Amino acid sequence: MNKKLDNDSSVVFQGRLSELYKLAKEGKIPTSLQGSHTRPCKFWTATKILSGINNSVIITHGPSGCAYGVKKTYKLTNSRNSGSIYEPVISTNMDEKKVVYGGDKELDGAISEVYEKYHPDVIFVASSCATGIIGDNIDAIVEKKSKEIDAEIMAIHCEGFAGEYRSGFDLVFEQIVKLMDPPKEELKEELKYSVNIVGGKMGAERTEVQTDVKELIRLVTDMGAKVNSVIAGNCTLEELRKAPSVAVNCALCLDIGYAIGNTMLKEFNTPLNSTILPYGIEATKKWLMGAAKYLHMESEAEALIKKEFKEIEEEFEEAKAKLKGKTAIIEGHDAVKCLSIAHMLERDFEMDPIIYNFHPWSTDARQTSIDYLLETGMDPKILITKGTLAFGKYESMKQTEEELMNFIGDLKPETTVYFGSSLSFPKIPVVDLNAILNRPRFGFKGALKVAKCINTALQYSFRERSAMFKKIVFPEENVGLTSNSLTSKLGNDLPDCTMYGERRRGKCMMS
Amino acid sequence: MYDELKFSNCNHSKDPLIGCALEGVASVIAGIKDVSIVIHSPQGCSSTVASAFDSHEVDFTKRKVGCTRLFESDIILGASEKLENLIREADNTFNTKVMFVVGTCAADIIGEDIKGLCDSLQSEVKSKLIPVFAGGFRGNAYDGIDIGLKELLNFIEKSEDKIANTVNIIAPQGSINPTWWADLNWLKSVLDFLGIRVQTVIPYDISLEDLIDASKASANILLSQDVGYKFCKKMEEEFNIPLILNDIPLPIGLENTARWLRELGKYFKIEKRVEKLIKQGEDSVISILRRRALMIIPRYRNCKIAISADATMGIGLVRMLFKELEMIPELILLRSSNSEMSKILDKELKELCINPKVAFGVDGYQIKEALKSVYVDSIIGSSWEKYIGEEIGIKLSFDNFSPTNRDVYVDRAYMGYDGMLNMLEIIGNDWERSYRSKEIDWAENFK
Repeated sequence: MNKKLDNDSSVVFQGRLSELYKLAKEGKIPTSLQGSHTRPCKFWTATKILSGINNSVIITHGPSGCAYGVKKTYKLTNSRNSGSIYEPVISTNMDEKKVVYGGDKELDGAISEVYEKYHPDVIFVASSCATGIIGDNIDAIVEKKSKEIDAEIMAIHCEGFAGEYRSGFDLVFEQIVKLMDPPKEELKEELKYSVNIVGGKMGAERTEVQTDVKELIRLVTDMGAKVNSVIAGNCTLEELRKAPSVAVNCALCLDIGYAIGNTMLKEFNTPLNSTILPYGIEATKKWLMGAAKYLHMESEAEALIKKEFKEIEEEFEEAKAKLKGKTAIIEGHDAVKCLSIAHMLERDFEMDPIIYNFHPWSTDARQTSIDYLLETGMDPKILITKGTLAFGKYESMKQTEEELMNFIGDLKPETTVYFGSSLSFPKIPVVDLNAILNRPRFGFKGALKVAKCINTALQYSFRERSAMFKKIVFPEENVGLTSNSLTSKLGNDLPDCTMYGERRRGKCMMS
Repeated sequence: MYDELKFSNCNHSKDPLIGCALEGVASVIAGIKDVSIVIHSPQGCSSTVASAFDSHEVDFTKRKVGCTRLFESDIILGASEKLENLIREADNTFNTKVMFVVGTCAADIIGEDIKGLCDSLQSEVKSKLIPVFAGGFRGNAYDGIDIGLKELLNFIEKSEDKIANTVNIIAPQGSINPTWWADLNWLKSVLDFLGIRVQTVIPYDISLEDLIDASKASANILLSQDVGYKFCKKMEEEFNIPLILNDIPLPIGLENTARWLRELGKYFKIEKRVEKLIKQGEDSVISILRRRALMIIPRYRNCKIAISADATMGIGLVRMLFKELEMIPELILLRSSNSEMSKILDKELKELCINPKVAFGVDGYQIKEALKSVYVDSIIGSSWEKYIGEEIGIKLSFDNFSPTNRDVYVDRAYMGYDGMLNMLEIIGNDWERSYRSKEIDWAENFK
């Protein structure tokens, strides 16, 4: 890493991922998130996964705002982006009186009404802060109602205060395994060439937009296998029931897929194929070969890999020739993605990656991905500056930008490339892999998109960045900007989807 | 009397289309300049506050929000120290004149002494601390706006002196126009033309000091028919300021705008000037439509339409759609419910001699059921209604209201003369797109 920063007072950490990880585990570096940098709460992340199960209804036992928030954010976005039909999220609409006297009767009544109104396959009862604190006996009501209605019903204890952001994902993925049937020989025979893609979240996530999932499905299908289900992305109860009988579970997102994959492995012995996000050629090969091993389709996978690579070889090699040996500075806002990109840039393009401002909070939240990288011999360099830990969202963003400029200093544009959001303005070529034009990012087609994106960015790096846009993002006197301009970089620190849930497509973080 | 729809299986379960009280309270705070907000809550509640700031389009460089991020141990043991530290940190970093300290469901239920803490810290911090309890269980977003407005009453000083020809404008954010401040700006320009001064907008882009003299206004105008009545009543009782124009629809469409302006003119005794404004506005609308939209009547005449909106927009639309566009409002679905606006609607329907089905305080399920039970060709509403309509086979929906699928870069009023044109432009474009032949499944229609 650049020696000139060794004594830089703005540096909080400079070293390898493994060192940061160790410091965080030993409590020697602060890992808490600033109060200005909130993430979605456990309730939000739990209901996000539940939103990916078709013909299910979530009853949020609490005031209406909790249901409204997740519905506006996830369901409205799903309808808008993927064309899924209008889906309700129900609230027991707890008011002051019910908070005082208890909401058991409300929940009992709500379950009966929801069954009558929607006839769902599954009813999920999600607890909120209010009902968690007053201690409504959700489990007992769910138990009682399960005998009265002809639908699966499950309590999800996901009060917003009951865990960090990540815990809602894990909780639901572990719990929905209870809806699954143990593997049967007959079904296993039927599904011996099928996989589940696990760890998906329905909705417009930046790492999981449907184009990426579609690309993985295409690869599996072209290999000669089938996908039983994407869990939990537009999946059905029937698919969930059959899920343990497939040949292998393939993790879409290693971190989020781990909870369900591991639970299914323990519970049903369903094998798990988990790699880092399949960005780039090496990661995609591993992902495919990992699946093929359990499908007994290694030769088919190898043939597919050969064919797919041939189709992109020319442009990929062109990009590689331009990048090999250069330094890649990777914006660290999205922990899983930046680790995956670092993996791709080092393994595929032979670059020297430095992840800039990987928040120490992520060492806990993204433990699975970090463990995987370290186990596979990758230990990228990390640089954390003070702005990352600064209080105040815009204040923090502005400070990290200044620190980035300071870090890059007189680094030559010929030897350094910035992989991050276009909302940063370093004087080196900027490759923004988030742009929707660059989808899919997964698989070989993704690798080609990445190569094209890199080639174009380098070709036009002579162009000055838009002065207009720079003024929009960093106003000279902090005036004249609307929240509509708050796109992925800042949005990443907000409860996800919040910024584009409400209103107009222009606010979508996918741009 | 209107024909009110009843729904079964809706006593315990709601599919809400509006937020909770916290969002309403935050939407009042977001209307005040140079404030920061500290939320004493688990982190998810931040998104509700962010939603209110979004609806004001508060510049992100000016969003000064912190959250105590309460977890289980905080709920059990209390988290006053955490709150105190955050207040100090926010005070140092944000450096705002005022800091609202807001307790949401969790802090509200466990009984955190936010007020006591603010009192004891006040002398040690630069910002003026204002504690507010805004547990989501205290009601929906409209109730929250009422709670927030009630807090603002404390900052208005009593004054017997009234300044002639001045008004306060109340609750402009109680509207589902995606750029509702454009309606406020339209009203300000009208008042300016008529020589009426705006004393205070409560609250949009004001400082807390601006509230002090709100009691000197000679009248209050409520720019919402969903919320703010309680506040206006209090203003009347405590500060002797009458609420005017409160028994007619807001100025939406030609007739409503003319009637509203005439009432305003009558109150301030400036009838002649008002007539000039009406003439100019109507001439402009008619001239533009003659040139650009001659086909609107042949197109829309007798089109059966459902109005799904808030009362602010929805009640005014009834007359505009029925009399000016010759459509037939068959269904009126309003997101809020209060006796003041239901009286206005009732009077309107009687005057217009129409008898559509009506429902108040509707949720998603009720909108869908209502649309299934009453035949309509089209819906005017938000993107919620668009998707609900698509599912049940209504292809034509006018996506005018929040949350909309449209990008709106230039602010668009819906009230007044240009406001009517703005709405018609959306209606015209959505109509065009729905009825292009490529959108019609010929094979399905002619099999």
